[in-house]
Amino acid sequence: MSSETIVQIEDLIKIFTDADEPAVKGVSLNIHKNEIFGLLGPNGAGKTTIISILCGLFSPTNGKVIIDGLDLYVDIKSIKKIIGVVPQDIALYPTLTAIENLEFYGAMYGLSGKDLRDKISKWLEKLGLTKAAHRKIETYSGGMKRRVNLIASILHQPKILFLDEPTVGVDVQSRNVIIEHLKELNAEGTTIIYTSHHLEEAENFCTEIAIIDYGEILTQGTPDELIANTPNSTNLEDVFLNLTKRKLRD
Amino acid sequence: MKNKLLATIKKEILILIRDKVGLSILFIMPMILILVMTLIQDSAFKTINEKGIPIVLVDNDKDTLGVSIYKGLKNSSLCFLSDSIDGKPATSESARNAVAKGKFLIGIVIPKGATNAIRKNVLGLVGETMNTNIVSKNAKDESIDSVNIIFYIDPVTKKSFISSITSNIHEFIATVKTQIMFQSFSDQIASIVPSGSSPPKNTYAKSQIINYKEIYASDLVGEMVPSAVQHNVPAWTIFAMFFIVIPMVGSILKEKKEGSAFRLHTMPTSYLLLINGKIIVYVVVCMLQFMLMLSVGLYILPLFGLPMLQLGNSLMAIFIVALATSFAATGYGVLVGTLASSEQQGAILGSLSILLLSALGGIWVPTYIMPEIMRNISTLSPLNWALEGFYKLFFRGLGVNGILFESFKLFIFFIFTLGIALFINRMKRKV
Repeated sequence: MSSETIVQIEDLIKIFTDADEPAVKGVSLNIHKNEIFGLLGPNGAGKTTIISILCGLFSPTNGKVIIDGLDLYVDIKSIKKIIGVVPQDIALYPTLTAIENLEFYGAMYGLSGKDLRDKISKWLEKLGLTKAAHRKIETYSGGMKRRVNLIASILHQPKILFLDEPTVGVDVQSRNVIIEHLKELNAEGTTIIYTSHHLEEAENFCTEIAIIDYGEILTQGTPDELIANTPNSTNLEDVFLNLTKRKLRD
Repeated sequence: MKNKLLATIKKEILILIRDKVGLSILFIMPMILILVMTLIQDSAFKTINEKGIPIVLVDNDKDTLGVSIYKGLKNSSLCFLSDSIDGKPATSESARNAVAKGKFLIGIVIPKGATNAIRKNVLGLVGETMNTNIVSKNAKDESIDSVNIIFYIDPVTKKSFISSITSNIHEFIATVKTQIMFQSFSDQIASIVPSGSSPPKNTYAKSQIINYKEIYASDLVGEMVPSAVQHNVPAWTIFAMFFIVIPMVGSILKEKKEGSAFRLHTMPTSYLLLINGKIIVYVVVCMLQFMLMLSVGLYILPLFGLPMLQLGNSLMAIFIVALATSFAATGYGVLVGTLASSEQQGAILGSLSILLLSALGGIWVPTYIMPEIMRNISTLSPLNWALEGFYKLFFRGLGVNGILFESFKLFIFFIFTLGIALFINRMKRKV
């Protein structure tokens, strides 16, 4: 794995309008090339806010963010060309077929013609969707929709892929296929930044993990390091509960 | 850039044509709207024109004035005149009751001796003018009472109808007064000129040298008669075109709800480009709506016995106003779609604001009958600009030069609404 930093975050702060306290309180992180970086935390911890800032969905209140050598404040257009985002919700047009959806999203990344068609065919085949390619998304099962949702974000072979709960609500078969192909993508050079509540999946999938709560990073390291360094912990779930406690979150 | 725009257009078209219900609403409902509204308004005009306003006349005068009013109203296409109620001669009391029950819109009671009172009044005036007491010695002796013609009016009657009838009655009274005056002068002159010379006959009839001819001030070739079709087709077409706001708002907010907008914001594609794809498709839809609705005026309405829509002198000018209206409507749709945070909110905001703008713009009632303050406000409605543009073409027969100002205002409205929408979108992301 390369030790070259691809995402550098320094003292990131985000205060939403009318919010009582900051959603992100001075977070600093370094994510290296080809890592599968897990950003884990309870509901409302600030994971989605950080990912949304990194994707350019909204601007930070303060802090410095460098992505692949590009300043987020200055080069957001260039950054958007090298990232892919798999949202937690299915972000597809239900009345369009899988192919029509992928042709549209591929075009939005600047792909066209044979190159685009070949990439769509390749990924539909890899994720077992070739037969259903001409069916409308609204007729798909939850697992099938998740797979198309993933393809729409990786057609342009992004340098960095953001995944927000990519396997939520899908069956084991679909989850395995998705994780397997994400690992393949990572092996081909894509850095993955991933959030999930599925801690067992994260433990097996991620090469580096940061646990966040109340807008602050509580700890960071490889899954083995986190388990070893946290008392009374035999797995990532123990680490998570020891650090974030058992108090229910809104 | 071109590929992205084409992909966005293709996506919008696919979504639109797969929504069969939405599509039928977009095209069939406006056609039905035009058909129904024109037929209703035309039949309302016909009721007045063909049958007339139901009026009961109680003639207690039985003299020149009573007869003149009876004949005048009987021959007027504006009235359906009756002098009896339920087979019995109408009296002041029965006329009042019949109007109160809604059997007649107006009841007119001419008092006994009305003509005589006018005659005395006129003779007195003639006597004073001729400075003689020969003609008016009888008249001078008697006191002259004023004539009170009573109008019983159904409260539901439109004020314009009442005004039409009262002005007719005033004209009949004036005619009778003039006739009596002419006759009196004629008799006086005959009595003072030397014997042997014959007094003029039919003096009043000879005095009528002024005739009226109604000509519509329009550059249209041939006989241009304004009709319900000519008024309603452009008005309801504009109304329907602006209702493109509802499907547009639905489309924008569905993208937000379904998460596509979220994904698109993370992509190297500008919001303006995505919105432009939508605008192009919906402008085409608006133009198709426009052509369909003109076709209703040209081919469907005549099948219902209505006059055919006359398109004026310039098809190019019609195209320009229609295009400008389409852009204004879609620009407004983008603004409402960007402002609203849910489909319900967008639908309510969109439909109510269009109703308001259409009422202000003169779609429902002509602006010339509005109070001055409302007339001034109406000039701010883009629907008013569009309506003015079409009226200039369909009624006044103007060409491209005549509608450039209205079209320019509509295009500026489009750019303004689009600019505001882009600004709001940017602000929303700076939470």
